[in-house]
Amino acid sequence: MRLDPIEFEIFKNLFVSIAEEMGVTLCRTGFSPNIKERLDYSCAIYDASGQTIAQGDHLPVHLGAMPLSVRAAIDHVAMEPGDTVILNDPFRGGTHLPDITLVSPIFLKKTGPPAFFVANRAHHSDVGGMSPGSMPLAREIFQEGLIIPPIKLIKRGVIDNELMSFILANVRTPDEREGDITAQIASNRVGESRLREIAAKYTYKRVAHYAAATQNYAERVLRRTITDIPDGNYSFEDFLDNDGFSPDPVFIRVAIRINGDSAEVDFTGSDLQTSGGVNANLAITLSATLYAFRCLVTEDVLYNSGISRPIHVIAPPGTVVNALHPSAVAGGNVEASQRITDVVLGALSKALPQIIPAASQGTMNNVTLGGVFPPNDPRAGTAFAYYETAGGGMGGRNGLPGINGVHIHMSNTRNTPVEALEHHLPVRIRTYTLRQGSGGAGQFPGGEGLIREYEVLTHTSATILTERRVGRPYGAQGGEPGAAGRNSILRANGSVEPLPSKARIELNPGDRLRIETPGGGGYGPPSQAAPK
Amino acid sequence: MIRLGIDTGGTFTDLLRLDENGMKVHKVRSTPDDPSRAIFTGIQELAGNAEWTELIHGSTVATNALLERKGARVALITTRGFEDVLEIGRQTRAELYNFMVKARRPLIPHGLIFGINERLGADGSVLEPLAESEVAQLIEALRTQTIDSVAVCLLHSYANPIHEDHLTKALEEAGFTVSSSHKVLREYREFERWSTTVVNAYVTPLMARYLEKLEDGMRGKSLKIMQSNGGSISAHRAKTAAVQTILSGPAAGVVGAQAIGNASGYSRLITFDMGGTSTDVSLINGAIGTTIESTVGDFPVRLPVLDIHTVGAGGGSIAYIDSGGSLRVGPRSAGADPGPACYGKGTELTVTDANLLLGRLDPDYFLGGRMSLDLPRARSIAKELAGRLDLSPIALAEGVVRIANSNMEAAIRVVSVRRGHDPRDFALLAFGGAGGLHACDIADSLDIATVLVPEHSGVLSALGMLLADATKDYSLTILKPAAAVTEEDLRARFKPLTERALNDLLAEGFAEKDIAIECSLDMRYKGQAYEITLPFAPGYEADFSRRHEQLYGYANPTRATEIVQLRIKAIGRTDKPTMPKAHADRLDLPAPSSIRSTHFGRRPIQTPVYHRELLSLGMQGNGPALVVSGQSTTIIPPHYSFAIDGVGTLIAARLEPRKISRKLKANNAS
Repeated sequence: MRLDPIEFEIFKNLFVSIAEEMGVTLCRTGFSPNIKERLDYSCAIYDASGQTIAQGDHLPVHLGAMPLSVRAAIDHVAMEPGDTVILNDPFRGGTHLPDITLVSPIFLKKTGPPAFFVANRAHHSDVGGMSPGSMPLAREIFQEGLIIPPIKLIKRGVIDNELMSFILANVRTPDEREGDITAQIASNRVGESRLREIAAKYTYKRVAHYAAATQNYAERVLRRTITDIPDGNYSFEDFLDNDGFSPDPVFIRVAIRINGDSAEVDFTGSDLQTSGGVNANLAITLSATLYAFRCLVTEDVLYNSGISRPIHVIAPPGTVVNALHPSAVAGGNVEASQRITDVVLGALSKALPQIIPAASQGTMNNVTLGGVFPPNDPRAGTAFAYYETAGGGMGGRNGLPGINGVHIHMSNTRNTPVEALEHHLPVRIRTYTLRQGSGGAGQFPGGEGLIREYEVLTHTSATILTERRVGRPYGAQGGEPGAAGRNSILRANGSVEPLPSKARIELNPGDRLRIETPGGGGYGPPSQAAPK
Repeated sequence: MIRLGIDTGGTFTDLLRLDENGMKVHKVRSTPDDPSRAIFTGIQELAGNAEWTELIHGSTVATNALLERKGARVALITTRGFEDVLEIGRQTRAELYNFMVKARRPLIPHGLIFGINERLGADGSVLEPLAESEVAQLIEALRTQTIDSVAVCLLHSYANPIHEDHLTKALEEAGFTVSSSHKVLREYREFERWSTTVVNAYVTPLMARYLEKLEDGMRGKSLKIMQSNGGSISAHRAKTAAVQTILSGPAAGVVGAQAIGNASGYSRLITFDMGGTSTDVSLINGAIGTTIESTVGDFPVRLPVLDIHTVGAGGGSIAYIDSGGSLRVGPRSAGADPGPACYGKGTELTVTDANLLLGRLDPDYFLGGRMSLDLPRARSIAKELAGRLDLSPIALAEGVVRIANSNMEAAIRVVSVRRGHDPRDFALLAFGGAGGLHACDIADSLDIATVLVPEHSGVLSALGMLLADATKDYSLTILKPAAAVTEEDLRARFKPLTERALNDLLAEGFAEKDIAIECSLDMRYKGQAYEITLPFAPGYEADFSRRHEQLYGYANPTRATEIVQLRIKAIGRTDKPTMPKAHADRLDLPAPSSIRSTHFGRRPIQTPVYHRELLSLGMQGNGPALVVSGQSTTIIPPHYSFAIDGVGTLIAARLEPRKISRKLKANNAS
């Protein structure tokens, strides 16, 4: 079939709009603040072989990871029309346990394999395990929550209520989970009906033809971009503060070899997987690498599997960038992913010093709070579990200072409004401001971090999973690093207890947890900064 | 009695005069340095010495002040510890994959944000009182600054305004102009409420000065100002709540479009206003939908506004080949300068150029002959671009139009399919400079059977202003489980709001019989963070389930629901002009003014050209045809019939829609 450039553009926009419509549905019908307020989800459509046709501009950390979910569903489940597969197992298509993915095959004919797949992934605020919020300091995956291998949640159009009640029995907030999963089902249905609609309108053959063309197109765009990077071998290393158990830093090392229009990204030499929860599985390492390269493309281009073709990632199994079962991985998705981005960008900075910014805060500052509503609350006796992340300083850019108090790189989730949070939880936010002076000096200074202080009104278990409390976000081209973050408890009696990067703590009424997030690194020598 | 509707636009000021004899249209060049000059010139030319009584005005003063950052110097007072809420926003960046993504451009100058010690709980209880001594210190500090207005934004003031009220009173007594967050928007979510409040503080002083100037020239006649919610308010009110006018221009256009569509007998409409750089679409399902999710100039404004979806694509959108070899149309636009290639200066191919190459525009009768188009220039630019794609220039032009149409189609899907409506149930009402060029093609791809193109599409906004009722919106966050409140409780909570609304409209001079008050609820399932607005009427819980099902495809009547906000819309009905009847006796078309070779698909067809002003009411015929007027061109494809109805609106109807749509599918599949 001939490729009509006009039809091609029209199909390309159609594919993107389907992924976006799925996202709108999920966002509007989801229940937990993670989905509704924080937009921690992604939606995408796939071809018959499970390759991405288009993924919505949702969350970068899901970029390279989602196709592995579809792959796992294909490999492990015999799918039939009307089925939907659910999974969160990081070693069979997932990333970390709170991210639950639903994959639905679309059969256009009575016999034969599916013509398309649709999938969406959402971060659930609790999937059981040792800590409320399911972002614990764990030594192995079994402590982190309920593990769901790829299995059918919907069989021939009928929800498996037994499976659903099994899942709900294993989580702290079953009502919310059920609502969120229902929203995920609705999202896949929207994707399915739109794909059916366009296949009926244009024929499957044509849709598949242009889906393949769309992947080739993304590949071409990325190859063109890589061609503009000078050939050579660029390496960089940086580290995670620690794994939450041992005080030792965990190094991630990369060597990027640019050769014409392709790149080899080799993480050989990175530290072995650790016994704490900062390990990344391969899905996360792929996502972080693809994100870094996609940012080099100056045009707005849709994301699909074509983008990954020119990039070969080498991540030795058993290292922190390709952790194996049964290692704990809760922090890999949120923390290791940021450092992997930092090292890939650090290496690219040597090839493209004018383009790559200084390091951003390099963490998502994960805070989970859990407990039981106190007797003086109308919700007395029921459990609460809450998870949120905090923005920080963006690194300075060539021509612009870093943005203050913002999510960077692998995350772009929204905050929960203070007024919403205080309504839903026995918590009071005492301070929510920029952390002045935390951005690294430079010709274009790094952005400022944030200060967020939580006062608890009842006994509360808190888990913090943060980074860049020891190491600092690097400066670029002579800019200074951003300030490291800081965590502490202000006890009700006035004493102050400093906290490490990662900790599980018990808070009593009146205690405050204070999170100070890192500033971004500066870009260019401070001596060349414009006078204020 | 003579009433005037006046819409100040960037280039022209449109005036519409309404009296016992009907409507009269006038247009003058805008005077951006002082918009009132064009208004008074226009009134003089349109009404002469006749005694007119009322002027309803749509102004872009507030919008431009915000977009161009030329508003007031505002000081912001917040609860201490939350001074940076406005800068932090929701912690997100506007673009995911762009290292050079821009920060929000601030509205508050450096050093003018002040924290004050006070604190309320989520239930409105006072946790820490506001100290009198601090208020006094704050006023002293503000006195040392040059400021035009003050925004007072405290946490949980929606639940209990005690501290905001106290602070506002003290500041007003000290001589400051104050916007207080619970008065601007009594809803929870601090960033959105504060942002709306700060925008109000930012645009209000400028608007107040402008309106005073306008009133000075009006010698005591009534002045009403158009709002973004499709209604008008008194100038007096607009002087303190200018944020409500920020999206009023497009809103008035939709109100006018609805009236014209209704007069022709269509109550379900999709409006499609395609201009040079942007296109506005909206859906009217008997009534015009509203939304509270708009963002203007980087800042959310969470007030009810007509639900108009804008895309950055229009006649000036530029076609180019991207680095992956794909033909793209927009979002870059040639704008007014240099404009499309055929205007003589531009060097890139635009949608307008493509239409010209396809014979859909008459180079010698563009804008009624006031401008001629450079066809050879457009052709040579198209040839170069087409060569790179191995296409003929005509195939390229046809492709550019198709891609532009598919972008428009996507915009229409946003307001229809995504909101649970099937576009086939609606007529497409097209206006704007480029609306008529694309409407029938877009109707084809969405399977819409009827296209309406009003006669004077340029003055729909002014018409909307004349027709607009006075409306006021009030809201109150209550955040209660639905099971914990009875219908009676809600009625009691609505009561003070309805009384306030009634009194406000009585104060504006409306008689009680002309006032209507609509109560609605924002509801959600417990745990959700988005609400659905529905009328407050018996059975509201069942209504919520139905609407949730319609919007999102599922409902769960056993799940607990919450009532988040109470909303009131108070309407003061104004006198409406009598619209003409739709019926007109059937007449044959005159001889065409010319015949042009026009491409429909890739085939050129000899196509008759009619001048719109020469078509009388009741005339009808079949496509293909081009209907050209002083403002725009409407394309009637071969498989459409068209008629001018009694209102003067051109109605294009697809012949045997089902058969045609099958034929189209067959064509598409080849």
